[in-house]
Parts: sequence; structure tokens; C-alpha cells
Amino acid sequence: MKNTFSLALLHLSFCFTFFALTHISAMELHGHGANLIETTCQRTPFYNLCVSTLRSDPRSSGADVAGLARIGADKLKAKATATLRQITALLKVTKDPKLTTALRQCVDYYNAIVKYDIPEAVEAVVKGDPKFGVEGATDAANEADACGREFKNQPKFPIYGSNKAVHDLSAVVASIVQLLL
Amino acid sequence: MVDTRPFLPVSSSDGSNPSEPLANRCKTMKMRLSIFFGLLVVGLFAALLTSNVTENEHGSLASSTTAKPEPLRRVSRGPGAGVSEKSNWLFGRDDENGVAFPWNNSMLSWQRTAFHFQPERNWMNDPNGPLFYKGWYHFFYQYNPHAPVWGDIVWGHAVSKDLIHWLHLPLAMVADKTYDKSGVWTGSATFLPNGKIVMLYTGSDAQAVQVQNLAYPADHSDPLLINWVKFTGNPVLVPPPGILSKDFRDPTTAWLTSEGKWRFAIGSKINKTGIALVYDTKDFITYEKLDGLLRAVDGTGMWECVDFFPVSKTEENGLDTSVNGPDVKHVMKVSLDDDKNDYYAIGTYHEKNASFIPDDPTIDVGIGLRYDYGVYYAAKTFYDQNKNRRVLWGWIKESDSEAADVKKGWASVQSIPRTILLDQKTGTHLLQWPVEEIDSLRLNSYEFNQVKVQAGSVVPLEVGPATQLDILAEFEIDKEALEKATGSNVTFSCSSSGGTVERGALGPFGLLVLADDSLSEQTPVYFYIAKGSDGNLKTFFCNDQSRSSEASDVKKQVYGSMVPVVEGENLSLRVLVDHSIIESFAQGGRTVITSRVYPTKAIYGAAKLFLFNNATEAGVSASLRIWQMNSAFIRPFPNLDNKSQ
Repeated sequence: MKNTFSLALLHLSFCFTFFALTHISAMELHGHGANLIETTCQRTPFYNLCVSTLRSDPRSSGADVAGLARIGADKLKAKATATLRQITALLKVTKDPKLTTALRQCVDYYNAIVKYDIPEAVEAVVKGDPKFGVEGATDAANEADACGREFKNQPKFPIYGSNKAVHDLSAVVASIVQLLL
Repeated sequence: MVDTRPFLPVSSSDGSNPSEPLANRCKTMKMRLSIFFGLLVVGLFAALLTSNVTENEHGSLASSTTAKPEPLRRVSRGPGAGVSEKSNWLFGRDDENGVAFPWNNSMLSWQRTAFHFQPERNWMNDPNGPLFYKGWYHFFYQYNPHAPVWGDIVWGHAVSKDLIHWLHLPLAMVADKTYDKSGVWTGSATFLPNGKIVMLYTGSDAQAVQVQNLAYPADHSDPLLINWVKFTGNPVLVPPPGILSKDFRDPTTAWLTSEGKWRFAIGSKINKTGIALVYDTKDFITYEKLDGLLRAVDGTGMWECVDFFPVSKTEENGLDTSVNGPDVKHVMKVSLDDDKNDYYAIGTYHEKNASFIPDDPTIDVGIGLRYDYGVYYAAKTFYDQNKNRRVLWGWIKESDSEAADVKKGWASVQSIPRTILLDQKTGTHLLQWPVEEIDSLRLNSYEFNQVKVQAGSVVPLEVGPATQLDILAEFEIDKEALEKATGSNVTFSCSSSGGTVERGALGPFGLLVLADDSLSEQTPVYFYIAKGSDGNLKTFFCNDQSRSSEASDVKKQVYGSMVPVVEGENLSLRVLVDHSIIESFAQGGRTVITSRVYPTKAIYGAAKLFLFNNATEAGVSASLRIWQMNSAFIRPFPNLDNKSQ
């Protein structure tokens, strides 16, 4: 009996070690979770932003590249929508006419981003014609860029941070969708 | 008893252990437990180590938070990070033009074309199933009924008697079946021997799998072909083994084999190798996939909108798609998903193994000649049995921002349909030329003979309004300067040149289109002759968008390519100017460039036309015939409800 017990314990130990090691290789083989996010984000211009954005969504751990693109687009939509709200809120309280003009232009750019660019990107990824997703996401980055340039000669750029986040995240999404071509 | 379950959870100690009391052997027990825990630690350590390794590969990452605002980088529409990007909005340095352009309605509404096909509003892309039937030319197209960006794709439809004056009809097909729920995508028409039409098209199905479907006119006696029926047995083809569900689209027109079967091709890819699959069918319902591929080329990526057709080596007419023989060459064309350009190769079709062999493998499908060196994609030809010619359609998208497209409410036009022929003089190129019916739009003409344009000068051409023009021009360059010019081994290319500000001894020279009086906005359409160190001359044909507009949110690239000039030929150009689109043809259509431009000042009455010569040494002399062009009055088909359906 004691021999059986020893054998069992030993077997248990080996089994456990084997299990732990194969689990690790399985993770690597299927690009599970963390690894695919990192390799994908390496192909984007803003690695840190890409990784933190994707990881913040629980869906990312089981997602393939198309899934990661989807997550990125969803996060981008949230950020862009919030920024648009920020802009319209500022418009209500701003008295400076130059600032008002700039903000009004940005409303147009952000409408394009939220209502057209991002839905286009999502549809392209989901339906399998990714080049239109690259177009949409790239255009979103360019629209954010255009908004930023409205403030070039202005003393204040109240939405700088959000706008940069939208720009950078758009560029990230465009790069991820590019991988699907 | 040995525990037979292979994997036990880490923390399990659920008594599955069949062993019994241990008290008697305390010492041995401790040893065994230590072994167990030792291995446990090893396992955990191994797990930890592996995940650490991946993290360390990235090392320490540059801090992404900066206190000081930095200029945002404009993102090009080209490949992602890591590839050197030329900003596609601002040519050259960043932020040169500062603030983004505030488009107003006057500028935006000017952009709409007068004689190019476009729907009344919203988005269009690929041409679909073009054909001639019962006196009407039919044009179908990818259309988004809801927005001026791609999405919710259905088939638009229009008809014309002459390929120029189009009348809009109701949508031909919408996404109302499971097999095209996610999109009614591109397809082609085939005429059966009895004169009936079958349409094979790609559906993105409810699971977003790309499948091929059969459709046909509901009523073959309706010349307008308004209603279409989808085959109840759809889909007739699904992605075969080895082909991914999103890499299977855009079936071609079918051609007859000598066995009397129909054969067609459909593009796909395997990893990064672009391929064209081939299928045979007797009835368009059941298909046999051939083992071989029509062609495959490494590194080209997904092949969209494959087109495959014969051209005559001896005649100047078109050929039915099924024609083959010794006096025939075949053309294989693909749209490359990766770089959004259309490429073609001329070669030979071997029916036996359904393969296409290009005449010159160094310029194989996808790595050689392009239909058009500007904005031009998803092109498709059809055999026009009415006039015995092969006609080419091409989708021309916008080069501005989507925000502007949203403001103006539309995006994309089609090129003017072009006849397509083998260039018998070179044998290596195709010739494209606007269909002759466009001449019917010509109004008053202006003639200029042997206008001298000295090196470094600009000559205005008085033609009245300059936004709707058809220009035919011939240039002669000073022969002495040609001979005297020193050659160099510096290679020239339109796209990497500085545009027309970059002066050479023998170029650039040509036309300034959509230019204002002060030339603050201008779009040069021009030649540039480069002399090699061996004395050989190479002629390039380019369009320079870099100063086409003061707006910063439009593309500013220089497009173009080398154009073969045959001994004894003058340099010749045809340019169609139609508001925001310029189609330019060099040497009878041997090299073609289509550009989209969005001037802010050189619009309406302020748009002018000039000759220019920015060469340093050679003078040129130009002879031109220029016509004002009428509108094509493209509009909805009148009184449609009264017509029989």
C-alpha cells in the first residue's frame, strides 16, 4: 500500500508538471491571449496604446486578429463618441469666437469618424473586405489630425489629449485591419 | 492502483488519491511529499519563466506620455507601421499648409462631375455585370444606399443607349437572402447561346462567408432588365477546401471550352500568393473545380476582380470572351487588395490545363503593367456585340476626406468607358481610349497650331470655361536640345520625383489643367524625357497633384509611368477634364492616368488652361484641339412606372 501511495504521488507529480508545461506550449501554439496581442501590436505605430486598449477588454484573450480589430474599433468608437460629447459641451460654454470656429469644424470631423468611418471599418472587418476597414480607420486618424490642426494657431487646445488618443487609436486599428488583407 | 486521469487541476486534492493511511511511514512520506512539492515548484517556475520571456522581448518601451503637445502624424492609406510612408494628404513636410480646409458648399458642389457616371448620391464602388442587351447598355454597380462610405452593399443599375447618357433605374438586387445578407458583391454577366443572360455574383452570407450565387433577369423580354431573380438553389459555390471563407470573390464572365462547357475564374489567395481558381460548368448550377490555377504569383496578396479576355493580334475590334486561336492573345487582369491598383499581363491561354502564361514573366500578373497609374480599381471589361468592341469600366474613388464626402453627400465616380485593344505597334501594352460616343458631348472647339513654349515658360490657352474639356494635343520637342542634353544614370519615376518643380533638361512640359490665373492651384498633366548615360531616351507621363489644391486634406501625390514612344511618333495626349476628375491618355492610350482633384480657387469661371514648359534646355511646340464638353444629364429614367415591367 505504501508503495502504491508513493507511486501515485510520483505519478501525480509528473502529471502535474507535464500538464503545466503543455498548457504553456498550447498557449503559445494557438497564439493564445497575451502573445497574439503583443505580436499584433508590434505591427502598429503605438504599441503601448494598442496593448493596453486591447487588454482592457476581456474578449481579447480569446480573439483572433479580426477579433482584435473589432475590439480596437469598439474602443475607438467609445473614445471618439466621448470626445465628440466633450466638443459639443465645450461649444456650449465657449465665448471665444476663434475657439468656437475650431470646435465647430471638429464637430464635423468627429461626426465623420463616429457615424461613418468607424461603422465602415467594423462592417469591412466583419464582412471580409478589409481594405475598406483600412480606409475608414485611416480616415478617422486623418480627421482627428485635421481637428488638431484647427488649433495650430490657438493659445488653447482643450481637447488635445482626447483628440490625440482618437488619432493614435485610429492608426492602431488601421494597422491591425491591414493585417487582414 | 494508478490514477488514470491524465490532467489534474493544480489545486486538486479531492481525495481521488486512492491511497490510504500514511501514519506508519512518516519519514518516507515526507520525502515523497517533498518530491511532489519540488516538482510542483518546477512546474510553476516553468510557467512563470515562459511568460516572462515574452515580456522581456519587448524590453523597456519608450514612454508614450509627453507633457508637451506634439504634432499628430498624418496617416497614409498605404501599408501600416514600419514602411516608409509618404503622407498622402500633404506632399513633403508635415503641417506645411497648417489648418485644415473649411470646405463651403460652392466648392463642394463644383466637384460633382458633368459627364461621368455617378449615382445621385451616396457611395459607389466596383462596376458589375456590364452588358449590351436589346438596344440598351446596362451598367450595374456596388452601391451603398445609406451613406457616402462603403457599407450595406447592394446592386445599383442604370441604362444608356450610348455608354454616355445614363438613366438611373431601381436597384437590381438587394441583400435579401441568407446567402447575400451581408452584401451583394461583385459579379459578371455571361450570355448563353440562346441570348439569355446569367449573372454570377459573390454574396457575403449571413455568417460573412463569401459564396457565389446565380441570378438572371425575371423577364427576358424587358429591355430594361429591371427585375432580377436569384436562383433558389443558391449558393452554387462555396469556398473550396484550402481557401479561407473571406478569400473567395468576384467571379468573371464565363467562356466556352472546346468541350462545350462554360469556364470561369475567381480570385483568391494562399498566404500571400495571389491566385485565380478555375471552374467548369454546363448549367451554372453544378461546378467542377479544376485542379490547376489559371495563374498564381507570389507576394501579390488577394486577387480581387479577376478579368480574363482575348484580344486580337491583327484586327482593331473586340473579341467575344470565348474566342481563342493563333491570332489571339489573352489578357489577364487583377485588382490587388494590398495596393489598390489594377494590373494586367498579356500572354497565352492554354485551354487544356486552363493556364495562362504571360509573355514576359518579369511583368507577370500583379507585378507589371497597370491599366491606369492614378486612381483606378476593380475594372471590368465586357464584349460589346453591338459595336464589336471590348469595353472597359473602372471605379474611380475620391481622393479627399470622408468628412468632405459626408458634407457633399456622395463618393466615387466611374471612368468614361474605354475601348481596349492590343497595341500592335509594341505588342507589350494595351491601348485604352474613351468610347467614341463621348465625342457627341463636344460643343465649340478651339484650335492652336504650333504654339511655341520656351524652356521655363507658361502660355495661357483661351478656351473659355475650363472645367469640362476634351483636349487633344501633340508636342514636338526641340531636336537639338534632345541631342545635346547630357545623359545620366539617375533613374526617374513620376511618383518619387518632386513633380513639375523638379526641372530636367528635357522636361517637364505639358498642360496645366484646372489652374487659376495666379497658378496658386494647378494640376500638371505632362511628359518628362530622361536621357540615360547611354544616350537612350525614356519618356515618362505624369500627373502632379501636389499643387492641385490649397486644401490640405486631399491627396497630393505625383502619379505616372514610363510610356513607350515608337519611332516616328510625336508625343500625344488626350485629356478629359470634368470637374474633380481628370482622365489623361498618352500615346493613344498606351499609358493612362486618372486623377481626382479638389481645387478651392480654380473652380467655375476661375479655372483656366495653360501650356507649360519647365525644362531647363528644350523648347517645345504644341498643337491642340480643345472642345467644351456638354453635360451628359445623367438622371433617373423618366416615367418608369408607365413602362412595362
